[in-house]
Amino acid sequence: MRLDPPVAEALDKIALMQNRIGGTPPEVYFKLGKPYETNAYNLSQGKRLYSWFGCKRCHADGQGGSGPGFLDGWWYYGPELVSIFASIRDGRPHGMPAFGKQMTTDQIWQLAGYVQTIGAYEGKTAAPSRNDDKQTRPAENRAPAKLLFDEGPSPVHSDQGPTP
Amino acid sequence: MNGPPTAPDTRDADIERTRLPSVLAETWKTPVGFWGALVTVDHKIIGRRYIFTAFVFLAIGGVLAALMRIQLAQPEARLFGPDRYNQIFTMHGANMMFLFAVPVMEAVAVYLVPLMVGTRNIAFPRLNAFSYWIYLAGGVLLWTAFALDMGPDVGWFAYVPLSGPQYGAGKRADIWAQMITFTELSALAVAVELVVTIFKQRAPGMTLDRIPVFVWAMLVTSFLVIMAMPAIMIASTSLILDRLVGTHFFNPAEGGDALLWQHLFWFFGHPEVYIIFLPAAGMVSTMIEPFARRPAFGYLGLVMALIATGILAFGLWVHHMFVAGLPRLGDSFFTASSMAIAVPAGIQIFCWLATLWDGRPVFKTPLLFIIGFVVTFVIGGLTGVMVASVPFDTQVHDTYFVVAHFHYVLIGGAVFPLLGAVHYWFPKLTGRMMSERLGQWSFWLIIVGFNATFFPMHILGLEGMPRRIYTYQPDLPWHGLNLFISLSAVILIAGFLLFFINAIRSAHFGEVAPDNPWDAPTLEWASTSPPPSYNFAMIPVVSSLHPLWDDRETLPVAAGLRTDRRELVVTTLAGAEPQAREASPRNSIWPLWAAIATTIMLIWSIFSPWAVIWGSIPVAVALIGWFWPKGTPEDES
Repeated sequence: MRLDPPVAEALDKIALMQNRIGGTPPEVYFKLGKPYETNAYNLSQGKRLYSWFGCKRCHADGQGGSGPGFLDGWWYYGPELVSIFASIRDGRPHGMPAFGKQMTTDQIWQLAGYVQTIGAYEGKTAAPSRNDDKQTRPAENRAPAKLLFDEGPSPVHSDQGPTP
Repeated sequence: MNGPPTAPDTRDADIERTRLPSVLAETWKTPVGFWGALVTVDHKIIGRRYIFTAFVFLAIGGVLAALMRIQLAQPEARLFGPDRYNQIFTMHGANMMFLFAVPVMEAVAVYLVPLMVGTRNIAFPRLNAFSYWIYLAGGVLLWTAFALDMGPDVGWFAYVPLSGPQYGAGKRADIWAQMITFTELSALAVAVELVVTIFKQRAPGMTLDRIPVFVWAMLVTSFLVIMAMPAIMIASTSLILDRLVGTHFFNPAEGGDALLWQHLFWFFGHPEVYIIFLPAAGMVSTMIEPFARRPAFGYLGLVMALIATGILAFGLWVHHMFVAGLPRLGDSFFTASSMAIAVPAGIQIFCWLATLWDGRPVFKTPLLFIIGFVVTFVIGGLTGVMVASVPFDTQVHDTYFVVAHFHYVLIGGAVFPLLGAVHYWFPKLTGRMMSERLGQWSFWLIIVGFNATFFPMHILGLEGMPRRIYTYQPDLPWHGLNLFISLSAVILIAGFLLFFINAIRSAHFGEVAPDNPWDAPTLEWASTSPPPSYNFAMIPVVSSLHPLWDDRETLPVAAGLRTDRRELVVTTLAGAEPQAREASPRNSIWPLWAAIATTIMLIWSIFSPWAVIWGSIPVAVALIGWFWPKGTPEDES
């Protein structure tokens, strides 16, 4: 179902910190009951978008590749949902493209919510389960960052230490 | 528990006949009040409760059907969106199949089978109490989830991959799968009780060829349950494992198989149809005797047809999967076997017709429902033979033709006999008669409303209207018939409303019923209406198939049972020769605790696999409490 245009517009107005790391989601996000973190449908849509928009090419199934991994539980720009939203919408230095022109606000939120579950330390009831594909790691609802601390092919920056 | 009413080892023959009922009533009583309702193991109280609950589910499932008909009455209706509609049709199907049809048939058997075979309680009465609580918990789980917008939305058969981890987001499919576990657990428990009751607790002299046909039907049904239900429990458990723990039972990429789901589901799902139909057929064969005023024609044929149906039922499941792309030879084999099952069904139909032909029929409400059943079920059977052929099925698969077909066989084949059975056995359950006038009105409203509602669906299906669509566009040629169907459904609903009104009113103000108002030949009518807690003061001895017709004046009885403890007669399997006196357990609260512990474990396991480990501890505690010797006289061997 398509989001109401005024709601979608309001959801786009996140307040980021000066360094574009962390911040607050718009008021309407809380009014809606944080749907992109708690609603299973949104999270599973996010998982679909993750493969449809080619995220796997750089981030694999969360192990990372030319882009950073998510399974290691390290977030270069913090684990907050707004930061992930901003990374997808506006892009980041060193190769992360901006998807703001290719995806709707709704889709970006769904994808951000899903990406957050990949690197979550605690399993989430609403998180998606495995796909009907070859398995490369435990499913998101099994709290992979905790179960499988995996640095992947792109090691964690030395400033950040070896474990979460 | 008070002390026994008589000295230890007192036998019924030692007590005066006038004092015997009060002594037995003391031994077999259920305490009054709320506590009594929780601890009771009386098969009549539990059976009544089961039937009542199942009819509540029928009513609310009917409300869902009405909502769907409002939505489909016109094109582009906006009563529900697709998501809510998916939940509604899934709830309707799952509720009607798992919470109404199967439980209600077993419920009637829980009430009637011990009475019909002339014993004092069902075998394993505490398991019986447990099975009711589990069934109730499963139903409450499903409906609570629906109320919280978490209702399953994957169809009552929950095909993977739609219900699998990739496409079934959230916990909706898990709710469905775990509801299955609840209802199958309770169904299996009842099936085991019935088999043991029928094999070992029949009245002395009730040899295999003197068992009422309804009891035979329940025996066959119970074996079907025992053999079919494990398949669906394995399937639903595998589905939950796939979704929660990430196993790969149904994941082709990792060596699993999506079609495995369909095989497991329909290996249960097709016998399920007969689990619903066979008890109904048994009810018809039993009810027809007092109304045709002659013994049912072809007892041997009727019983053999039940058994043959039960065996063939396991060889048909692939006809639900004709469009799944199976080998041609498989399709042909299952076409042949699907058509073969029409033979035992036909034998029964002709036996019933012959009974009516040769009898002097009294057209009371139960007989009207029997005739309505024969007509409707034959129409449903004929479309069944049509969809058994692969080319035809390929055309109409997943269209309204199939919807029409299975409503004809399920409502016509099971609900009509059941409604007749309610009118027929109502006096035995409540001690009051149902109103004949309202009964006849409700019959005509239901039969007219039913046919006007479901017959046009055949045509809609041939016109290509698919199942499970939440709306359709105005330029499609379906809206006229859909409006007609929705209006006809009003008549059907009015008929059911009248039936419910009749039942509720008669339970309070109905004419007081004698012990045997229909002059029926089977043993349940030898007891009072409603029967006392001990069913029979003395265990009857049976010398024919129709004990109440052949021994009209005095029914021979057996003596020698103890009155200071709950005791019943165990007889041999084939010849029903008395073998032993067997204790029957007293009331207990532990089945309720066991059911609560099981419920916590099963619902918790939707969210975490650890529930199976930690949740099994309370279950073990409850079972230990259940089986701990209580020092009652029943503990003596």
